[in-house]
Amino acid sequence: MRQQISRLSIVFGVLLLALVLARHFLIPKSFGKIGHYRAAAVDAIAARKIKYAGHQACASCHEEIVKLHDDRRHRNVACEVCHGPAAAHVEAPTEIRLPAPKQRGYCPLCHGYDPSRPTGFPQIDPVSHNPLKPCITCHNPHAPETPHTPEECSACHGEIARTKAVSHHALLPCTGCHETQKQHKITPQLSRPSKPASRAFCGQCHGVDASSPKEIPRVDLATHGERYVCWQCHYPHFPELK
Amino acid sequence: MDPQLQPLMDVLQQVKGYIYPNEIELQWGLLVVVYPYVTGLVAGAFILASLERVFNVREVQPTYRLSLLTALAFLIVAPLPLLAHLGHPGRAFEIFLTPNLNSAMAMFGFIYAWYLMVVLLLEIWFDYRKDLIQWAAGETGLRRFLHRALTLGATDLSERSLSFDRGAGKLITLIGIPSAFLLHGYVGFIFGSVKANPWWSSVLIPIVFLFSAIVSGIALILLLFLFSSLVRGKDVDMACADKLASFLLYALIVDFSLEMLDFIHRLYEAEESIKILSQMISSRLFLSLVVLQVLVGTVLPMLSLFLVSPAFRSRGLLAAPAELRRLVYFSAAVLIQIGIFSTRWNVVIGGQLFSKSLRGLTVYKMELLGIEGFFMSALLLLLPFLILYLLVVLLPPWPDREARVADG
Repeated sequence: MRQQISRLSIVFGVLLLALVLARHFLIPKSFGKIGHYRAAAVDAIAARKIKYAGHQACASCHEEIVKLHDDRRHRNVACEVCHGPAAAHVEAPTEIRLPAPKQRGYCPLCHGYDPSRPTGFPQIDPVSHNPLKPCITCHNPHAPETPHTPEECSACHGEIARTKAVSHHALLPCTGCHETQKQHKITPQLSRPSKPASRAFCGQCHGVDASSPKEIPRVDLATHGERYVCWQCHYPHFPELK
Repeated sequence: MDPQLQPLMDVLQQVKGYIYPNEIELQWGLLVVVYPYVTGLVAGAFILASLERVFNVREVQPTYRLSLLTALAFLIVAPLPLLAHLGHPGRAFEIFLTPNLNSAMAMFGFIYAWYLMVVLLLEIWFDYRKDLIQWAAGETGLRRFLHRALTLGATDLSERSLSFDRGAGKLITLIGIPSAFLLHGYVGFIFGSVKANPWWSSVLIPIVFLFSAIVSGIALILLLFLFSSLVRGKDVDMACADKLASFLLYALIVDFSLEMLDFIHRLYEAEESIKILSQMISSRLFLSLVVLQVLVGTVLPMLSLFLVSPAFRSRGLLAAPAELRRLVYFSAAVLIQIGIFSTRWNVVIGGQLFSKSLRGLTVYKMELLGIEGFFMSALLLLLPFLILYLLVVLLPPWPDREARVADG
């Protein structure tokens, strides 16, 4: 055999032996029995303390609530999703009590507005939707109402509605200025309400010749504001005082 | 606000359109850009070395050993960006112990080991064996010990033995060429097989990666060849430099054609992703793709090499003096390195900038410090040159040095 081959064979032989030894000593005994992982890991995981009790356990004591819950739209949301792991509570029902999320931050985890959520999934903007009120004052989480199209503009545009409510325009209906298609309540992004497009629109009440009550401020449209539409300078949801 | 949230808030302000929450922050950063860049240099340098060995291109002979050592230096560094990116380097060896044949990523360890142990180290060993013995005979101290140890005790210098070395070297190069294709084609394969990502998922990606690897490897050797001649105070072997520049131009033309083919194919196919991809190219990737990769990194060097290098005739289109040719080659090679690095950047970073909703774009915010940061990547790009320096000191690749000792 050539000298080079014999010397290289020694080097590769040592490396191969190192690999075989490493495989022998370092691979866990149960590796590969079931799949490409350590089979003993299954027992190790199974031996860990169980924290969740499961739906059945809740039903055995809280029969009425579970029955109500199972009939309604949250039926696929398990009890422990909101109330937390219940195994300890099942073992000692009186000593260990489970929390119920009553603060506002919890429900928006699923129901906060996010464009990537499916169309029709009930969503609100937590900033403008009845701020400061805990969700459960209006909604029963065990029996949530079927979602319906909003009746009032304020359901979605709460911030504007609240601003307008304390302004001089409080008594004007939203649809007085915004022409709104029915479709807007179903697909708000695709069917948008209009905005007043001409100066004459505001002039109906605020023009010099308008027949509105005389306390309402007047401007001469011919000289005031040049070519701008009124709402480019004045905020109609909270118009400045005289 | 929580100061830890500040970086997220900065990025959020630049997010455009709709994007899923888990897509805002990029998971593969600068280190994953460095990795295909470095493996590309390895494959390219080796393929250049094989030109002399297998295809008998005499002119590039002076760069043969330099190419091998460069490939080795970069190959040693190639897995480090991945180790730094993944963390837990102590677990890295486990892919060798329990090989998973279903995972391309898991098999990379074997491709790497094969290429390092069976191709590069063996080829270098067979090529240097004679010199190692002769160097050791005329030296003392540590150098003598190291050179003698590297012979592994195979000190037979008979003609039969030396011709066996040459034959073995040639055989290994023959195995080495498909191996080098495998090494870098594999990197492209990983990206090309991500079927959920329209920017990556293309059968052309492995081939484009391969040719850009050859381009970057030849350009790197050209740079090192010119630089080493300068440092050693030797006249540049212009026949070699001209040949390298010619090969660089050929490879660049093939690489550019493939990239354009991929580009035109995407445009013509116009899949549902085309809108967001064209948005991305014209906004987020404009500088790195259109300016750096295509104009500065490909078209400009291609034109300058086309004008100056004797690629298609015995002289270039412009009869430039040697000094000017060297300058053009050097500048073109630097620009090509910038261009190929941008290519890797555009693939890795670009593939994560658009949302799977195909309706939004995010941004990549590079860190400066930290293990995924700029300085870490810069260190990993400088490290191969340090290793190469040590290798060159230990195993001088210069043909004149080989001859002098052989004569002495």
